Amino acid sequence: MQQILCSQAREGMVLAKDIMTPEGRVLCGKGTPLTTSLLSRLEKMDMVYVTVEGHPIEVPGEKTLQQELQETEERFSNVTKIAPLMYIKKRILQKLVDSRR
Amino acid sequence: MEDAKRQGFKAALRETKNLPTLPGIVVKLTRMADDPDSTTEQMGRVLSKDHILAAKLLMLVNSAFYGFPQRISSLSSAMILLGFNVVKSLIISASIFEMMEKQDVELWEHSLGCAVVCNVVAKRIGVEEPEEVSTAGLIHDIGKVAIKMELPQEYAKITRLMQERKITMRQAELEVLGLDHAEAGAWLTKIWNLPPRLIEPIGCHHDPLQAKAEQLSSAIIHFSDILIRGMGYGHAGDDKVPKLDKQAWELLGLSQEDIDQVIDEVEEKLWEVKGFSLEIQAEAEAPDSAAKS
Repeated sequence: MQQILCSQAREGMVLAKDIMTPEGRVLCGKGTPLTTSLLSRLEKMDMVYVTVEGHPIEVPGEKTLQQELQETEERFSNVTKIAPLMYIKKRILQKLVDSRR
Repeated sequence: MEDAKRQGFKAALRETKNLPTLPGIVVKLTRMADDPDSTTEQMGRVLSKDHILAAKLLMLVNSAFYGFPQRISSLSSAMILLGFNVVKSLIISASIFEMMEKQDVELWEHSLGCAVVCNVVAKRIGVEEPEEVSTAGLIHDIGKVAIKMELPQEYAKITRLMQERKITMRQAELEVLGLDHAEAGAWLTKIWNLPPRLIEPIGCHHDPLQAKAEQLSSAIIHFSDILIRGMGYGHAGDDKVPKLDKQAWELLGLSQEDIDQVIDEVEEKLWEVKGFSLEIQAEAEAPDSAAKS
């Protein structure tokens, strides 16, 4: 998932996190697809950020998935014989891939 | 390493010339806590006189790693819910944190992340006071800041050695100083009179089975440090995930399913904490806090 500016959000993107009102109630639930009318409503509410599924916006200077995967592998390179850590590495790699989908 | 040299470094660290003195407010609150006649309301009032500290504390208390379902709005309820010891540690942590953040933002991020993992793991295992463990997790690397501030020349040697020989920070510390940041952190927290339940895990976070009374807490911090590094959150000095102590791992008794859930929950909380750390940064940059420091 990716946290982006509302101004970057486009129809078709899907909310990855609930959007809350200032009073703490859920305005739009996680999983709601963004529509033009929803987006203009959020703009009127002065909402700045929204968290969406996947990784739709390319941020200059941000690491690519490839880089993140490689760095993760390197981080674990001293502990290849420790089974629980290898399992953890596997899960972390999986999550990295999933988050970009 | 001759013992005299090691003692010399130890003495320099203990002098804490460059580290902040313990906030006077902690001394006052400690006295009040020992006095059976003072109430948490009174202590709350003393604390709220320092607006910035009070705000920081409430933010820390409400942030993801304490995970209370309702927001805590008053300091006296914070004290009731968390206990005086945790609040005292938080006050100290808030000042340490500020210093850590100024010195080393990435270490600060790592520490925040570690605290989050500690909280999740401690709750999962069913530890009685998970907040104590996460508070220790928050400041477990304070020794690194102390070394950086009190022994800058040695700190430079340490970083150089790490890069040249591709060894861990801890290995470099032991070579240059004859002691490591865990030991340094334990002394500092002892000088600052933090409760022993925090001191021991800080001292033993790389070698948890060395702990006498707090093996489980030490094991939790040991593991949390490893996990948060594995996730690449923040930067703890060197790039590699350290070895997981086998006995500590067995003590924790976590299953694969536990690991899956812990990673999911931690990821979720780190998103929340992100917002919190931006708030603290914004506050630190605000004009009235600049006047305070």
